[in-house]
Amino acid sequence: MALDTDDEILQDFMVEAEEILDGLNEQLVALESQPQDSDLLNSIFRGFHTIKGGAGFLSLDAMVALCHKGEDVFNLLRQGERRVDADMMDTFLKVLDSLNAMFSELKSGEYPQSADPAIMSQLAGYLEADATPAPAIPEPEPEPEPVQAPPAEANSGGGDDITDDEFEALLDQLHGNAAPGMKNPSPAPEPTAKAAVADDEMTEAEFEALLDELQGKKHDPAPKAAEPVKTESVKAVDSPPPAAEKPADNSKSNTPPAPAKAAPPPAETSVRVDTARLDEIMNMVGELVLVRNRINTLEAAFENEEMAKAVNNLAVVTADLQSAVMKTRMQPIKKVFGRFPRVVRDLARSLKKDINLELRGEETDLDKNLVEALADPLVHLVRNAVDHGVEMPDIRESAGKPRTGNIVLAAAQEGDHILLTIADDGAGMNPEVLRRKAVEKGMMDEEAASRLTESECFALIFAPGFSMKQEISDISGRGVGMDVVKTSISKLNGVIDIQSELGKGTTLSIKVPLTLAIMPTLMVMLGNQIFAFPLVSVNEIFNLDLRKTNTVDGQQTVLVRNKALPLFYLRKWLTNHFDDSAKPATEHVVIVNVGTRKVGFVVDQLIGQEEVVIKPLGALLHGTKGLAGATITGDGRIALILDFPELMTAYAHRSF
Amino acid sequence: MTVKVLIVDDSAFFRRRLTEIINADPRLDVIATAADGQQAVDLVSLHRPDVITMDLEMPVMDGIAAVRQIMRRRPTPVLMLSTWTTEGAKATLDALEAGALDFLPKRFEDLTDDRQKLCERIYCLATNARPHSAPLQSNSLPSRQIKTDTNKTLDLVVIGTSTGGPVALQKVLTQLPATFPYPLILLQHMPATFTPSFAERLNNQCQIRVKQADNNDTLQAGTAYLAPGGNQLLVKGRPGRLYLQIERGNEAETYRPCIDITLSSVSKICPATTLTIILTGMGADGCEGTKKMHALGGAVWAQDQQSSTIYGMPMAVAKAGVVDKILGLSDIGPQLAAL
Repeated sequence: MALDTDDEILQDFMVEAEEILDGLNEQLVALESQPQDSDLLNSIFRGFHTIKGGAGFLSLDAMVALCHKGEDVFNLLRQGERRVDADMMDTFLKVLDSLNAMFSELKSGEYPQSADPAIMSQLAGYLEADATPAPAIPEPEPEPEPVQAPPAEANSGGGDDITDDEFEALLDQLHGNAAPGMKNPSPAPEPTAKAAVADDEMTEAEFEALLDELQGKKHDPAPKAAEPVKTESVKAVDSPPPAAEKPADNSKSNTPPAPAKAAPPPAETSVRVDTARLDEIMNMVGELVLVRNRINTLEAAFENEEMAKAVNNLAVVTADLQSAVMKTRMQPIKKVFGRFPRVVRDLARSLKKDINLELRGEETDLDKNLVEALADPLVHLVRNAVDHGVEMPDIRESAGKPRTGNIVLAAAQEGDHILLTIADDGAGMNPEVLRRKAVEKGMMDEEAASRLTESECFALIFAPGFSMKQEISDISGRGVGMDVVKTSISKLNGVIDIQSELGKGTTLSIKVPLTLAIMPTLMVMLGNQIFAFPLVSVNEIFNLDLRKTNTVDGQQTVLVRNKALPLFYLRKWLTNHFDDSAKPATEHVVIVNVGTRKVGFVVDQLIGQEEVVIKPLGALLHGTKGLAGATITGDGRIALILDFPELMTAYAHRSF
Repeated sequence: MTVKVLIVDDSAFFRRRLTEIINADPRLDVIATAADGQQAVDLVSLHRPDVITMDLEMPVMDGIAAVRQIMRRRPTPVLMLSTWTTEGAKATLDALEAGALDFLPKRFEDLTDDRQKLCERIYCLATNARPHSAPLQSNSLPSRQIKTDTNKTLDLVVIGTSTGGPVALQKVLTQLPATFPYPLILLQHMPATFTPSFAERLNNQCQIRVKQADNNDTLQAGTAYLAPGGNQLLVKGRPGRLYLQIERGNEAETYRPCIDITLSSVSKICPATTLTIILTGMGADGCEGTKKMHALGGAVWAQDQQSSTIYGMPMAVAKAGVVDKILGLSDIGPQLAAL
């Protein structure tokens, strides 16, 4: 039977449960290092408990069953009746995986399948080991409504009556031996005097003795359950409720009687908003930005001070609105980072490596879409760092490094973009090996390979089909990962960069814009047409004397601070009437990061920086290579937004 | 005048569901929701709700601690929403002891029944119940010497109760000496998962012995037998040799255990030598049974309105005119002990 995934209740549940699951993931890993942390245990217990509650509401039985067991085990843990061990951790991580799988099923509108019976029986095993009775199934509640009492004889039919003889026989049976069918369902954790009392076989003397014993026990100053009550039971019960505040003050209450806080926290300060609605708002703000740009441009023609003021105001408000709306879409990168402790732990365990993962800047906010889009590439990179980067403990030791490797995953906001870095202190990459590999794979000849700079060598790992690992493990090393990572980062208008030092480690840095909806661009003119360069890729702008270019290997290059960069004439590619004769002496060159390399583009005119909203290309232009989309500029014209990696592939026949 | 409800639950999902369910009842109005016990305590002072629904497991401050604080600062009827497991039972009983008045399962699937029951219970608590700031203060002023009119020796004492009963029973039974000369049968409307914990708790608190009744238990003096939830308890045998029979409750029966059913079985054996006490509770269970007992010469006591959490069941028997004594809760224990 299918579920209605649009159902609001189900949606509600999934949103909350997903948050909890994310949290559980982290908490479980944290638990491994601090197995006694009672806050942590409580919080995990509550996590299972809450999911179970919601799942129960929706009759998702498989989920209820699994969470119920999880909750029970954590209940034992938090009460100190059991200790966490590695075996249990593995089971719980499996439980989590199973829950996650159920969620995927839910999302696709299916009722979740029952959990793997092996997991269930493992969980049950933890419970049984303690001889704690499995909690009974909830019983329906007696009706509260004041209905008429049912006929009293309903249940005492004639069949229940027994004759006196039968009765005597029964009594003999009772006193003679343990009565058949007489069970003791009440769980008696400690078989003390009480449990003995429950036995019907005792003599009266024994009974008296036990009573004495019990009473003696009761004179004990602290009968546990009654304790909190007795400390307060001084005042008369008849005292009206309001007066009760006084005795409370006198009693050793553990909290101040009156809240000193001026304003108690409001009940609910947040509302959940469908992201589709946020997207819509963002879209409209984008439109507003375009209108503002347009008005800005128009205003310049008027020279009216009042008008200028109003336009300035509009600009300020729009900017504020834009950043406010952007903030609503922001999520801490923690959402992605949170899964890494688990990823690293599992991987390191299976590879028998010792790895410590450090997370920095988890609270850095970025656009929700970005957070989601970054998840997969980051997982790939972190796995790579664990698998290829950090060495085996013995090798590390012989290299004079600590046995435990370190991976730092960091996020930070730098102006209008986010910088993510994944740094390991592992073996680093050997450019020579990379060169050799490139030749072996037939990607280039030896001469071309020897000309590659170090960073170009590192960039090779992003090439399709390039794998560093000698043997392919199931973790990484299939050579499909890195080029996919690069493609997905490029799709986010991001750039990726590698730095590596042999023997010291590798650092990968990813730069992505804060948001995908509004893009800061550099507007340039080619002929009479405007093009927008994503600003995140723009490195610097030069006025160059174009006569000072050299042609190397058939490619025009320009020397910038003693580095040769390939130079391309965009107008050759993108405009129809390219006239080579009217070449001015100096031209504007924009240095752009494409993939991990820098490339110079010659443009006719520089217009300036402008924030634009990316609009998809119309049907006619759809799929045109090298164009990311279009936008409307301040003067009302249409500008095409360039996609450099694609552009280079399509026109320069190079892959970056 | 609508009833102002405060919802306390750490799950946003449940806060929303509960709000929907409760607001659907025109008599009820959710005025605020709190995500943990501390928020709840603060919101109670701020909004002065008429009734509170309280979750047990919450971060920052759990439901029991929150109830305790609320009872100290501004006593308000609290309905505990608990999971009906053994663990949930212990925690719920703790919450009742802390001052919560009643409890319901946290499970409102799509059954309109469950939802109606919830709203009904909330409404009833808000309008009828009297929260006690310190519900268990024992008023053991050696009260007026009570002349016992029950001269005949008893075979059995039956106590029936519902909402407010766990605390009331505790209060009555803790005043009985270990040498209490009669067996007691306790009929408390409670789910099956709760009664074992409740019996254990009473046993720890009382001088008399308290156990959950088992099938074929022979009744002994100085022992109270708590009817197991989900079942019906029948008294069998003959005076002096009474024993218990536990029958699996029928789903259709409103109450399991049902006071009327038990009393009906008693009325066939020793009605005249049985004292029946009806304590606080919603509804009218026990009314038919006490009528029968009374007609056959049995003594009947009922809790008074003043001290009843919910004056429903005691009122029903009082109105039926079958009550010999109407007593305040604090008097019942001493009078019983004096028998």
